[in-house]
Amino acid sequence: MPRRQRQPPPPPPAVEERLFKKAVQPLNPEATAAPKAATSHAEDESPMERTNKQHSPYWHWIPAAFALSGIIVFIFATYGPPASSSGFVSTLKGLLAWAAPDYVAAKAHYKAIPGPGSWLFAFALGMAIGGFIAGRTSKDIPVRDMPPIWKRRFGDSRAKRYGATFLGGFLILFGSRLAGGCTLGLFISGSTQLAISGLYFGVIIFAVAMLTARLLFGKVVQQEESQ
Amino acid sequence: MTMIWLGLFSGIAFGFVVQRVGATDAHKMARSHLMLDADIPRFMLLAVALSAVGLFGLQSAGVGRVLPLPTSIVATGLAAVIFGIGWGLTGYCPGTTWAAAGEGRMDAVFALLGGLAGAALFAHLHETLVPLFYDPTNVGQITLTDLFGNQAIAVTMLVVVFGLCIWGIGTLWKNS
Repeated sequence: MPRRQRQPPPPPPAVEERLFKKAVQPLNPEATAAPKAATSHAEDESPMERTNKQHSPYWHWIPAAFALSGIIVFIFATYGPPASSSGFVSTLKGLLAWAAPDYVAAKAHYKAIPGPGSWLFAFALGMAIGGFIAGRTSKDIPVRDMPPIWKRRFGDSRAKRYGATFLGGFLILFGSRLAGGCTLGLFISGSTQLAISGLYFGVIIFAVAMLTARLLFGKVVQQEESQ
Repeated sequence: MTMIWLGLFSGIAFGFVVQRVGATDAHKMARSHLMLDADIPRFMLLAVALSAVGLFGLQSAGVGRVLPLPTSIVATGLAAVIFGIGWGLTGYCPGTTWAAAGEGRMDAVFALLGGLAGAALFAHLHETLVPLFYDPTNVGQITLTDLFGNQAIAVTMLVVVFGLCIWGIGTLWKNS
């Protein structure tokens, strides 16, 4: 609602553009002028960054970490170990309880995770609401449908990016459910509880994600470094 | 009902903070993985170290509930590799997917849909995959406390190691 007051109503474009107008606006100049995007990107990495710190739209990582750990400790005190990949299973359980109640009742994975009327689902929904509120109340943090680094490497095709994130989403959830948790539910929660599983999972996900990112975007990084 | 409100409140606060620090930005996440931006990894590690101290305090006061997940050498490791590929590809993890989709990032909406599909497939194959990969090498709910024999020492070790990692990231990553 607040966004509608802030921005004059545009002539009704495609649903996506109407919903994410803010995302489209700051993106376009960057998208159309590739050299410019490269320059602004290079600026990010220049030694000037330190003096430009106050212009960063993001919170500094130290106070942000204090804030997040306050929330995590609050969750441990009021509920138990926080988790977010379970929210996906809760959502499915809710959907399937309608469509195929016998199937849900028979499967071990759905028996182990509560349905939508639970803390786990409320937390996942809350994350989405929190992201929505944070996105609407920030004027500086760009909301983009595609990361610029992806565009520079793989071009403007939305289908390609959305296909890749669908596949990536598939992998992160499949992996999370096999391990029993995700970045939050296993690495952060687990390590907070000193669990070996969380530390073991954390080391491998960081290493593999870094390797994957290097294989995917390494070319772009090299190009920029040589400029 | 109280639990639902607590979950909703916790989720909103969590989603807000991760958006503000930039963890829902797949561009910033990719740059973190490429060792060009040190903010998010240091944020995550510091948050864990502080939470571990906070949780130790809670437990000393007899408050809260803990449930460390078991370690399965094969399943946890294999799952982490699959997860890492997906994380490097999208720049989203399950939690930030919810927040980024709420924020209005279309690629995160597709990651969310893919995630539902991935969770559905695993749930379908649970009865086959868990006995095959998880159970044989499941070494139980082991923690650092078992390793060091004392929880206070274990927390201290975790904080020291995470502190060294934060320092290392600040040194090795370019933009820090």
